[in-house]
Amino acid sequence: MKYARMLATVGLTSLAATAATAEITRLGADVDSATMDPRIQRNTTEYRVNNLVYDGLIKLNADLQVEPGLAESWENPEPTIWIFNLRENVTFHDGSTLVADDVVYTFETILDPDLKARFRSLFTPIETIEALDANTVRITLKEPYAPLLSYLDMGIVSKDYVESGGDIQSVPVGTGPLQLANWERGAKITLEPFEGYWGGAPDTEGIEFVVVGDNTARAQAFEAGDLDIIQSPLSSQDIGRLVENTQFQNEILGGLGITYLNFNTAHPLLSDPALRRALAMLVDQETIVNAIYEGVDQVATSILLPSSWAYDASITQPGFDPEGAKAAFAAAGWTDSNGDGTLDKDGQPLSIVLSTHSEDPNRIQSLEYIQAIMLENGVDASISIADWPAFSEGVRGGQHEIALLGWLNIVDPDRLMFGQFHTGGSFNWGSYSNSEVDAHLDTGRSATEIGDRTAAYQAAAAIIADELPYFVIAYQGYQVFHTNEVSLTPDARGMMRSVIGK
Amino acid sequence: MLWYALRRLALFVPLILGVVAVTFGIMQLVPGDPAAVLLGDEASEEAVREIRRSLGLDRPWWVRLGSYYLDLAQGDMGISYFQNQPVADAIRQRVVPTLEVAVVALLISILIGLALGVAAAFWRGTPVDAASMLFAQLGVSMPVFWFGILLMYLLAIRLDLLPSIGRGPPLAGALGDAILGRPAALVDSLSHIAMPALTLGLTNAAVISRLVRSAMLETLGQDFIRTAHAKGLLTFRIVFVHALGNALLPVVSVIGLRFGALLGGAVLTESIFGWPGLGQLAVSAISQRDLPLIQGIVLTFAVAFAIVNLLVDLLYAVIDPRIRLE
Repeated sequence: MKYARMLATVGLTSLAATAATAEITRLGADVDSATMDPRIQRNTTEYRVNNLVYDGLIKLNADLQVEPGLAESWENPEPTIWIFNLRENVTFHDGSTLVADDVVYTFETILDPDLKARFRSLFTPIETIEALDANTVRITLKEPYAPLLSYLDMGIVSKDYVESGGDIQSVPVGTGPLQLANWERGAKITLEPFEGYWGGAPDTEGIEFVVVGDNTARAQAFEAGDLDIIQSPLSSQDIGRLVENTQFQNEILGGLGITYLNFNTAHPLLSDPALRRALAMLVDQETIVNAIYEGVDQVATSILLPSSWAYDASITQPGFDPEGAKAAFAAAGWTDSNGDGTLDKDGQPLSIVLSTHSEDPNRIQSLEYIQAIMLENGVDASISIADWPAFSEGVRGGQHEIALLGWLNIVDPDRLMFGQFHTGGSFNWGSYSNSEVDAHLDTGRSATEIGDRTAAYQAAAAIIADELPYFVIAYQGYQVFHTNEVSLTPDARGMMRSVIGK
Repeated sequence: MLWYALRRLALFVPLILGVVAVTFGIMQLVPGDPAAVLLGDEASEEAVREIRRSLGLDRPWWVRLGSYYLDLAQGDMGISYFQNQPVADAIRQRVVPTLEVAVVALLISILIGLALGVAAAFWRGTPVDAASMLFAQLGVSMPVFWFGILLMYLLAIRLDLLPSIGRGPPLAGALGDAILGRPAALVDSLSHIAMPALTLGLTNAAVISRLVRSAMLETLGQDFIRTAHAKGLLTFRIVFVHALGNALLPVVSVIGLRFGALLGGAVLTESIFGWPGLGQLAVSAISQRDLPLIQGIVLTFAVAFAIVNLLVDLLYAVIDPRIRLE
């Protein structure tokens, strides 16, 4: 009798628990958030949580088109002045009303180096930001800066809440459709609907971000029915099995990232564009993309992403061509004169160090494959692998020769080119310099007409495809799996607004 | 014995000083700059320098180490660069889940290890012996990571017996509820702990079972056992009271040492089973060069390990009255 009751109690409790959580959409996340403050967000889980809890002035839809967010409308009377008209009657989760001062406060604090905001550099072209009245914000730029608009999806925080000592690190107060219900650090973040949302209460029981660090374990938790959505990063060995499972839906999108080889143009050998081209001809992109990345990524042809308005399919880098590489090496004076299987010139062997970081097994495999083909073709290629902090320190210091790495979140071509290829640019780690490219990148940043910007980036991309400071191996793909109960419009940034219909 | 325990506790001070210095030294030697990781790729050199200054990383190493000691003496472990909270808070939130798994794993490994070891010794040379030693061999050679994934595939996906990921209600509270007659929370809690604890515990059980077997074999061959048989005592009593009691001593000391392996294994199992413990936190702290947090976690692990070994030493005196702790 006693046991029967005990079992019944257990059964009832677990039934009740199932019923209560049935509607919550559980999303697998590879890392936990470290903060609920959008201004200092760093990792993908933080972006994705903040995207639901906060609103920006604008909103980027799944096609990365700019749509009104907290700003109902905006104008650009002069190239350096932007005026945003805020929506009225927008309330924060604590019941207070959004005013222009909140917007000013958000960006002023981001620009303050003491906040240590990772994305501060995106906003440094801002000269001043001021509230003209309770619902109007004016941004004055130091110089024309076309990409600004697409970065203004940054979540707006409540000035009163932060200044009065609100614990924004762990208790977010935003204007977004969901609010924080519970955060069990290292395990899960539970978001519930905010009834007072300006766009109407969302039709959902909430979204739960469940942290599982290991890719395969996350895929298995999804198969076991403990998660409703999982998305990139996924391990290639799990993808095939998940695709075959008819209980799941699966979508692949062109992502917003690239995987590339960074040639250090300050290196005595690699300073010669002809040699860079010859080495690039030994990179078998097809095999890397299809065999290592399971066809989720795409073979890249230039620095411009297919998803970008600036894309031009006719701009192409050299493709995989070992015979062509042999001829190009010979033309540059590299031959195997002593018959040891390694190319040499003036008594020096053609030795190159390829490097990448240890966290991503696909990158290590790609690099090893590139090394194998280089060795077959007479290039004495060796490999150096370290964890991300150590590897990136070397690359930032320009100590690498050829490094395999990536860029993410390229919502505007400026973000992948200005700092990377401009002479003396902040992330021009390979010390590339070409005055023509500089001029095009300046134009791309300052021109306000999309046609002028497109022409500038295409001209720069053509030179880069020829001189190869970067050899772009792949356009990164984004993949999402979800159960049939979830309705979702995939978004290459992994944002989940479509799940709650907002 | 109290005097002994107090003296051992006093030794924790040099231990802590040493652990801090060694961790600090290693982090000095490992390349990678937390300021650069903090700001990401899109940061200028100037901004990185600025952050280094605001984190105090531009000071000479001896100033940083010295001020860490001073802060620590006042109970302050600093503020994590990446978690945006004090190190002490971050650790406090994570230490209980890790201990839960470690303790359950230890219990599992002691139970399985003792059972298999005693059985193998008692039925020495029979298929029982061979089977349990095969298990021990497998258990020692299986990588924790692989075994965890396999277990999840079997128990959560194929058989749908256990939840694949996450932590249930806190074990201590659930245990209290169960004693008061409300077992639901305990069932939930244990169903979540089961897989991570099994993953961790099985390797350990293998080590313990081999040790128990050899210690038992040695004891079973001794004179007093023969005497016990001659006196006509029950075999059960001989094996479990006389032999096991004497074989236990080396086993207990190894259990203390294995606790360190359990804490280390937590680093792997926690990222497989989405367990919100210190292991997961340690992985991210190291990959971000979050120096104060790394320092804090290493210190916590070291102190926990030292406490367990102190308890083991005290346990010696309880198990074997011949031992006097001085």
